[in-house]
Amino acid sequence: MPPSNPLPPKENALFKRILRCYEHKQYKNGLKFAKQILSNPKFAEHGETLAMKGLTLNCLGRKDEAYEYVRRGLRNDLKSPVCWHVYGLLQRSDKKYDEAIKCYRNALKWEKENIQILRDLSLLQIQMRDLEGYKDTRYQLFMLRPTQRASWIGFAMSYHLLGDFEMANSILDAFRTNQMKGPYDYEHSELLLYQNMVLAESGQYERALHHLQKFQSQISDKLSIKETSGEYYLKLKRYKEGETVYEDLLKRNPENVMYYQKLVEAKQLRDPDAIVAFYEVYKKEFPKAIAPRRLQLTEARMPSFERLVDEYLRHGLHKGIPPLFVDLRSLYADESKAETIEKFIIQYIENLSKSGTFSSEPDEVKQPASALLWAYYFAAQHYDHKQDTDRALHYIEAAIEHTPTLIELFIVKGRIYKHAGDPVSAYKWLEEAQAMDTADRYVNSKCARYMLRAGHVKRAEEMCSKFTREGVPATENLNEMQCMWFQTEAAAAYQRSQQWGEALKKAHEVDRHFSEIMEDQFDFHSYCMRKMTLRSYVGLLRLEDVLRSHPFYFRCARVAIQVYLRLYAHPLQDVPQTTEPDTENLAPSELKKLRNKQRKAKRKAEQESALAAQVQVKREQHHKARQQQEQGDPEAPQLDELIPDKLARAEDPLEQALKFLQPLRTLGADRIDTHLMAFEIYFRKEKPLLMLQSIKRAWRLDSSHSHLHDCLLRFRSWLDDTHASLPPSVAAVIDTEMRPMFQGRSAQTMAQEYMQQSAERSQLAALWGARAMRRLQPARAPEALKLATRLDLPDLSIQGCVEVLESLRDGDFGPCEKDIEEYIEACRVKFPYANAFKPPAEQVPDHIIEDPLQPKEITVNN
Amino acid sequence: MTRAKIELGDVTPHNIKQLKKLNTVVFPVSYNDKFYKDVLEAGELAKLAYYNDIVVGAVCCRIDMSENSRRLYIMTLGCLYPYRRLGIGTLMVEHVLKYVEQDGNFDSIFLHVQVNNEGAIDFYKRFGFEIVETKEHYYKRIEPADAHVLQKTIREPQSAPLMNGTVPHAKTNGHD
Repeated sequence: MPPSNPLPPKENALFKRILRCYEHKQYKNGLKFAKQILSNPKFAEHGETLAMKGLTLNCLGRKDEAYEYVRRGLRNDLKSPVCWHVYGLLQRSDKKYDEAIKCYRNALKWEKENIQILRDLSLLQIQMRDLEGYKDTRYQLFMLRPTQRASWIGFAMSYHLLGDFEMANSILDAFRTNQMKGPYDYEHSELLLYQNMVLAESGQYERALHHLQKFQSQISDKLSIKETSGEYYLKLKRYKEGETVYEDLLKRNPENVMYYQKLVEAKQLRDPDAIVAFYEVYKKEFPKAIAPRRLQLTEARMPSFERLVDEYLRHGLHKGIPPLFVDLRSLYADESKAETIEKFIIQYIENLSKSGTFSSEPDEVKQPASALLWAYYFAAQHYDHKQDTDRALHYIEAAIEHTPTLIELFIVKGRIYKHAGDPVSAYKWLEEAQAMDTADRYVNSKCARYMLRAGHVKRAEEMCSKFTREGVPATENLNEMQCMWFQTEAAAAYQRSQQWGEALKKAHEVDRHFSEIMEDQFDFHSYCMRKMTLRSYVGLLRLEDVLRSHPFYFRCARVAIQVYLRLYAHPLQDVPQTTEPDTENLAPSELKKLRNKQRKAKRKAEQESALAAQVQVKREQHHKARQQQEQGDPEAPQLDELIPDKLARAEDPLEQALKFLQPLRTLGADRIDTHLMAFEIYFRKEKPLLMLQSIKRAWRLDSSHSHLHDCLLRFRSWLDDTHASLPPSVAAVIDTEMRPMFQGRSAQTMAQEYMQQSAERSQLAALWGARAMRRLQPARAPEALKLATRLDLPDLSIQGCVEVLESLRDGDFGPCEKDIEEYIEACRVKFPYANAFKPPAEQVPDHIIEDPLQPKEITVNN
Repeated sequence: MTRAKIELGDVTPHNIKQLKKLNTVVFPVSYNDKFYKDVLEAGELAKLAYYNDIVVGAVCCRIDMSENSRRLYIMTLGCLYPYRRLGIGTLMVEHVLKYVEQDGNFDSIFLHVQVNNEGAIDFYKRFGFEIVETKEHYYKRIEPADAHVLQKTIREPQSAPLMNGTVPHAKTNGHD
């Protein structure tokens, strides 16, 4: 369809050149040609030219002008598909996909069969998961271009994604028989495997298996054939054939744990002794393989476990396998296995230090000198796991004395302190480990993480900067690299130190990474179709669908929500001006000291600002370089800078918290914390039905959860106050739904009942129960306090005691200075290493680490 | 059972702290920053010894040009206690001997040993070292303070015979 306002031939030629310049990214030239058309008064308001000028300006980063020109062009020529298409492209570059889809639809109204627009539309639809719309668009593309491979594939895939496997399969069949002629290449092979995946997903394993066998010779991914057919045999209960497949696969890779497990399934072995015997066979067949030995330990029972683990431990210690303990840790779930391991390790240590052998058998071969070291190392981790800090430290000290040059020892020493509640000593030992091999990035990262746990964000950044790009501040580079472990840990560290704005900044940065990963899939929609990597493509789509179910997102969302809730309750005050210290009332000597201090501080500040200026210059250079790089990519999103102070002063903290919560409500619905956080937000927003929904969902997951119990109580009390003013229909729904949970009890009764049972259950339950009791019946405060501070609870932990302590200090139980002190005292007896219960003077000083290896200074004669 | 793996590796700015830790526990004397700075420049003259991938020993030498001769001075050569008598010291001495041989321009190799350190004296004698001199009060603050000078001659001195003089530099060693 011709534009409604056609240009004469000369101008039309110029217009075509604008288009060509746009395609070839010669934006400056494009603008020149646009000017030539527009400077003619007759065409000064030519819609399509104005729109193209706008689009070109957008590519040069002049966003505001771009929108102005494109909109003006569109106004002048509302029936032009070009103008609508351009407007769509502009919106797309701003990630406004919904708007862009509308524009493309308008463009198609005026030109139904424009392939380019249809293609662009289909990409947006799949990005937005408008699967029905995607199917329609792919259908049109298919009808318009039935000879193109991509038309067929896209058409079939649109049905597959909608779950219409039959249709998808028949399209692929038709395509294969009519379009694909040999020779068969890798892409053909991938297509066949994709078709096979469609068949399997429809649940027709028989057919899928047949399909796989029929096309075996045309599929190049031989491993895939074996693995999938094995899977099908098991699903079809054709165990004999499955057995053969997995036996074959094991010959390919005797370390693949999954193959062994599938083979056990195929052989229908259930009796643990039979499974142990099964692994025995493979131990003989693959004498060097570790997998059958390790898997055997999981299945073995006493007394054969004893013999097997003895063998396994000796092998590991002899070879000096550092992760031996981590490898065996999962066995500790069985207490008798843990005890057996302990017995052996003690025996080894005793014999190795005496005679260099594992046992006292006279004819045993001597072990290498390092075996004792690894035995100490294992014992330290073993006792650390048992939370026996003293023994763990004893063995790690023994190991360090034996071989002070082994880096792993210092990492474990740090970990022991971490578990004992002393993050400061912990990170110092990691620092020591780090210094011993500064080229080891694993130790470097670990050290940075321990620093974050101890609250030293700046120091952690400096640590990381040893591996980040030079000339750029480490935080910036870590953000650019989407280094999320660092950012989630930093967010938590800031939260602990009550730097709300900084914590929010980190949380938002992580959230943006997730958005970016979602955006990044855009390029794959066309790329994967072209490259025929369809199985991986479908896998990618499914991953992106649940992307924010990742633990990193959960962690950063939880920090953000907790911080926003806190800021809602205690909004930040304006910062008071720092006042000059009162110099008049100081003694002259004091004054002198103060002046000295100020002078020093000033000098230091000057040095720092000089350094900062240098960094600033480098950063600007870096930015410039990056911008130049990115000129080819005008689609880079323009995001607001995250400013901690501004974030912490958000006008609508609850709305902000909801934004973080939203993805979790669907993707993190199986975690009770999601619903508890939802309740906390909606409770403050006074949304009764949403409170109800959150409580119901949490109740379904764990009806005895202590925080949930508190939510119930508060909901009950809130209803008592507001029931009369609720709309009758809302009140009725709540009454019906809450009946099984409230059981007609008052808040007081519920609190009382809960408190009576809670103390026997867990420390957390006791704390929540006591807190609720204190709130509802202030008269029973002493009783509540006694319950909260009990130390004879089954799951007593450092973290639990710290929570109780914080609650006491927050005044949840009224003023109780003396009780706090007594409680700290009692906790210290239980957890002597934990910093939280040490008096300030006794805490490890945070600057200098004592090097136990440094002997007294001895100098040499000249 | 497989034999333990013993090999030598370079000293780098990344792992120098391991050398420091090792020297601190192996020798009764401590070395200053300059010592470690020089070691980083020493190339093949400073090596770490690995036993099953763990640093258990180290050797540090420098070239001594005093007394009109070109001599190799072994500043430190030591091994962690649990790993002694496993051939690690031998490997390090052999490395030094090979270096001297390949260079071809050394007159001798020498080192200091505390006079009571019989194990070390016997060890070096096995490689052809001999006691050529004993220095009184060589060490400060450790007992005994006297040191033997052990030397292995590579080629006979061509000019004047060895003069009586003091070792000009402070750095020495303390083997067991």
